[in-house]
Amino acid sequence: MNAERALYRWTRDLHLYLGLFVSPFAIAFTVSVFFLNHAKVDTASATAVETVSDLNVPPGLDSARGRDAVERARIIVDQVRVSGEIGFVRYIRQEQRFVIPVSRPGIETVVDVDVPGRTATVSRRATGPLESLAYLHKSPGPHNADLRGNWFWTRVWRYLADGTVYVLLFVSATGLYLWYAIRAERRIGLVLLGAGAATFFGLLYAIAL
Amino acid sequence: MRSPSDRSRLPLVLEAWNRRLHYYLGLYFLLFLWLFSLTGLLLNHPRWALSRIPNDPGPSYEQTIEPPVGDSAIARAHDVMRRLGLSGEVEWPSQQTPGRFDFNIAIPRRATQVRVDLATGRATVQHIDRSAWSALRISHAFSGSRYNNPSSSRDWLLTTVWVIAMDALALGLLVMVAGSYYMWYRLKPRRTLGWIVLAAGLTSCGLFAFGLVR
Repeated sequence: MNAERALYRWTRDLHLYLGLFVSPFAIAFTVSVFFLNHAKVDTASATAVETVSDLNVPPGLDSARGRDAVERARIIVDQVRVSGEIGFVRYIRQEQRFVIPVSRPGIETVVDVDVPGRTATVSRRATGPLESLAYLHKSPGPHNADLRGNWFWTRVWRYLADGTVYVLLFVSATGLYLWYAIRAERRIGLVLLGAGAATFFGLLYAIAL
Repeated sequence: MRSPSDRSRLPLVLEAWNRRLHYYLGLYFLLFLWLFSLTGLLLNHPRWALSRIPNDPGPSYEQTIEPPVGDSAIARAHDVMRRLGLSGEVEWPSQQTPGRFDFNIAIPRRATQVRVDLATGRATVQHIDRSAWSALRISHAFSGSRYNNPSSSRDWLLTTVWVIAMDALALGLLVMVAGSYYMWYRLKPRRTLGWIVLAAGLTSCGLFAFGLVR
């Protein structure tokens, strides 16, 4: 009996404290859902454009691939004083230009490098708080897996995003246990669980299965 | 008219309902939360075997159709889909070739390419079928709209229904979090440690949401 009570108390406290820790992340992920589902942003309008000259273009960037290309591109990105996650490196051979998009919360930058002229046009677009949250929501994401995490803070965020999932799964599992311990609430709880499951499987059947 | 004793009981009643709302919402949305949590994990780990999405196209087939009618590209696409017996979210390729009318149709379990030769009236259709598991992963981000592509919009009823479900889950979680703050704050012995862990969560999340912005 004492062991059962101790288990209940430990579960309740872990549910409380882990829930409190993860709550700002849960808010960030949920608020950004509304932005991702409903917002429209004109990403073509740069808020600042700057030209940087006398660049040192690392040799072999035109033939480099994957992570190697990103590491070489980072040498250019550092010279134009931009930091963030490099999306990809595109070489336009006919024009001898590199296009390097760089993202971080709050700002999206495109570094357009003219190789013969050793100059770069740096176009910055400031993003609002909600777009920053949406960026974090999607980061690091499934695309260009070989390149992702080329910025230190993206790698840290990956751990935090994964941690948010694990903690949410733990908090929801402990929540189930804590609810089940309240006998008076079992019946209505089961009805709601069943209603949620019916909605869930009905919707999934309609769109995904 | 309420008596003074009714008024004094009101905070207790609200507190009890706040607690109930917390687990009622949690129970109703439990499976949705698990789906989005697990598929979010898969999206962040594309190298995991479970994350792979089969992308092999099936055999294509051709069908003769009447020239598409409609006063907009989306209306013409819907006209072609109706003739071909297809449904889903219309997506546009980056370029249209003159003399052709090309578009794609997305649903989580299948991607379809439709290529219409306007001169001959021949429509070529190719499907890429997904597994049920892949469809679940795709449903995580299936909103029919991209915020960074202002021309994209939802045009399939079921996408709208799915987006409502995603919004409802997000709103439900926000209500649960707000309610949990109140419940925690009412527990005086747990306030100090609660403040510490909440501050740790706020600092680490705030660093990314606001601290890296410059």
